[in-house]
Amino acid sequence: MKFSKYLTDKYIEILLVIFGYIIVLMMLFAFKVSSEVIIGITIVFVIISFGVIITGYFKRRGFYNNLLNNVEKLDKKYLVLEMLNEPSFYDGKILYQVLYEINKSMNENVKQYEISLTDFKEYIELWIHEIKLPIASLTLMNHNQKNKIDKRYVEQIKRIDDYVDQILYFVRSENAEKDYLIKETSLKKIINNIAMKNKDDLLANNISFIVDIKDEMVLTDSKWLEFIINQIISNSIKYIRNDVDRIIKLKVEKLPKQIDLHIYDNGIGIPKKDIKRVFEKTFTGENGRNRTKSTGMGLYIVKKLCKKLGHKIMLRSVQNEYTEVIISFSENDFYKIKD
Amino acid sequence: MKRGDKLKTIMVVEDDNTIRDELKELLESSGYKAILLERFDNTLDDILNNKFDLLLLDINLPNINGELILHEFRKKSNTPVIIVTSRVKETDEVLSMSYGADDYITKPYNPTILLLRIANIFKRMENNTNKSYYDGVLVYQNKGMLIKDDKELDLTKNEMIIFSCLLSNRGNIVTRDELMTELWNNEEYVNENALTVNISRLRAKLEEFGIENAIETRKGQGYKLL
Repeated sequence: MKFSKYLTDKYIEILLVIFGYIIVLMMLFAFKVSSEVIIGITIVFVIISFGVIITGYFKRRGFYNNLLNNVEKLDKKYLVLEMLNEPSFYDGKILYQVLYEINKSMNENVKQYEISLTDFKEYIELWIHEIKLPIASLTLMNHNQKNKIDKRYVEQIKRIDDYVDQILYFVRSENAEKDYLIKETSLKKIINNIAMKNKDDLLANNISFIVDIKDEMVLTDSKWLEFIINQIISNSIKYIRNDVDRIIKLKVEKLPKQIDLHIYDNGIGIPKKDIKRVFEKTFTGENGRNRTKSTGMGLYIVKKLCKKLGHKIMLRSVQNEYTEVIISFSENDFYKIKD
Repeated sequence: MKRGDKLKTIMVVEDDNTIRDELKELLESSGYKAILLERFDNTLDDILNNKFDLLLLDINLPNINGELILHEFRKKSNTPVIIVTSRVKETDEVLSMSYGADDYITKPYNPTILLLRIANIFKRMENNTNKSYYDGVLVYQNKGMLIKDDKELDLTKNEMIIFSCLLSNRGNIVTRDELMTELWNNEEYVNENALTVNISRLRAKLEEFGIENAIETRKGQGYKLL
């Protein structure tokens, strides 16, 4: 708060005081008061005027400087009221009260959204739980048919299930609360689950599935990681190339402080201009537009889940040659839970 | 899955009618006897009052939580339990396993995989993963070896998996898809060509060993061990 600005702001009061002083002066001259008295009255006038202005200024300066300072420094600016004392002057009190009311009403507003978001998330989780039942029924019914099992049905049911999982993990990745559990997990076991899930697609597309993983353990949530790797492998299956012996290769690289999982395919790759943006929400790129319909959500969710789990994810690709995704797991004894 | 043995009984605790009936059909067509629980007002007692060799238990049940049932059930019985649920959360799995579940499978599952997991549990229980017989031939699964009189025959891992799978379904047709599932489940990610090659190699080896025409090909259906 600058004194000069405060002074200019008070110009009407100052003009009034000067006007009053001139009238008093004129009256004093009219009554022919002696010059000593006039000087005395002038001094009193000046002292009172300055006194009023300066006390007013200092009262406000403490409060407003504090307010401005806090707003500037705070990361979450809406918390500024918590750091402020109620001022002693009237207009400050009004401002403080108003801020308090605004804050309160905004908090209630935000709270309402929070509640409706949590409700929505809970409903989605419940709904997904419910929709899995008919999907499971269909799978079993198809399998139990007297005639041969129809692979076309299996394929479509798997598609439905994959889309359902995508929404489940989208909701989980957007949610602020921590609903994962990190523990030592066998990469081999997760990969085996994914292999079994995608077996028909891999075989039908003549893709060699090569796994070079021993007994490496990583710290992760196995369900989340299964979704992550499954998304990446689904992409590899989606974007295959015709003029090569198709392969998808998974291998592990042990580094001093981390374990890297490489997921490599010799598919159509990604154009250079698109690589940087593959993890962006709803980004589809050239491949997503040309080959199959793509939602552009898969890798976005993958990236978010990785971030939450504390895994680094990287993508390398050369168009018409290969795509390689690398997931890095840090080795941290802090998280180790023996079960 | 062995025919001829006393039928294994599996109790199904699942509140979705369709899934329950389909599971019964699946289990019965695979050579098990299935008992279904159809009322859920006294679930724990109803389970304990039945005799069975394996329990398939859902987590979301009316009136009571499956994890709780498992916890109470384990205090009174050592019978194997497979949790079958549509809950995809690590915490549920960890909790179930710590309560003593033998396996945890999420819906929707591949029925062949469910059957494999069930068969694995029975195999583990009977401790006969190592040794079985094919007529006069001793089959050591872990060593990948067949022994007849004094002669030994070494099989590769893949060949042994195929042979064991055919052996445990002896006399019945095993589809290529079932063989493939069994191989992949054992982390042998072979393709169609490799399967064909493995089977013809297995045939040749068996023939050389003195077991002739043991594996019959049923066109469009699969293979049968005679």
